[in-house]
Amino acid sequence: MLSWSSAQSGAEADLTAVAAGTDGVGFENGDALLRFASATAGDDEAELTASREALVEETDEAFMIDAAAVAANFEMMTRLADGTGAAMPSGAVESQVKISEAYGVADVISQR
Amino acid sequence: MEVRADLADAHRDAWTHLAEPGSWWTGEQRLELAKTVLGAMSDNEPIPPWGSISAVDGRIPDMPTAPAFAHDVAYRIARHAGTLTEDWYKKASEELGPLPYVELVGIVTTVAAVSRFSRSVGADVPEFPSPVPGEPTGDAPDDLVDPELNWVPVAAPADQTAAVMQAYTAVPSEFQNYLQMASAQYMPAAEMGDPAWMRREGGLTRPQTELVASRVAQLRECFY
Repeated sequence: MLSWSSAQSGAEADLTAVAAGTDGVGFENGDALLRFASATAGDDEAELTASREALVEETDEAFMIDAAAVAANFEMMTRLADGTGAAMPSGAVESQVKISEAYGVADVISQR
Repeated sequence: MEVRADLADAHRDAWTHLAEPGSWWTGEQRLELAKTVLGAMSDNEPIPPWGSISAVDGRIPDMPTAPAFAHDVAYRIARHAGTLTEDWYKKASEELGPLPYVELVGIVTTVAAVSRFSRSVGADVPEFPSPVPGEPTGDAPDDLVDPELNWVPVAAPADQTAAVMQAYTAVPSEFQNYLQMASAQYMPAAEMGDPAWMRREGGLTRPQTELVASRVAQLRECFY
């Protein structure tokens, strides 16, 4: 969805930067969002606070709340998918080889 | 901090829903399991995936109203979802029943979302409400089937939509709760095909939304 939506918008995301969690995402607020998203899924409270403040500084509080809501949604979705054994149709998997390689999907434990 | 109304409502409704009798668990059991999930989410020294939280002193009530095994399942999904296998699911669903299992996953995902949102914005996790008395409703669709795209049973027809969209259809109240939360947190299902969708002017663009989604899913090692 990231690859598709960013390509449609004309500012294609650098999936390698996203997968590595490094600067260079390639669109507005991308690096601050990536840092905040990474921190929400991690255990480092100081980094979460710092990344939240940096994102608010760059955007505003409502924007940060929207980003936190999306992150929360995928805390929900990942457990839903793994807990119910959700699988992609085989055709969908084959069409996403480039994305899968960028994210190292072959090494993901939950691959079914 | 002002949280927009639809998101605040979705989370408040989800928390209220946790305390109500479900299709297969009482309100008291649902809240008890929710507390185990919350403990798993904030566990600084998590037990390994093969461990049983019910075997650790003080981690579940001495006289739980839900089976100890249900607490073990809840903890495992909350903390180690990426390690689940179909064989593990079969054992869990044989022990709990496939529909109670689905409802339990719904409890886990609700607590995971609300607790992580609270932490992310720097707020306290809301207090759980008091349990609503009553027996489980037993509500289930008439036409349950085994899909190709999920381990769990779903309402017919199967596999006409994405696996994550049909996953909770066997437990209608969890499915409705999930739809409300996903709509407020991410986007309404009807907007999924629009690469230019934005919730509001000045809010996240679709690529910005998908960046956050993609990074969290990657860090959770979710193949889907």
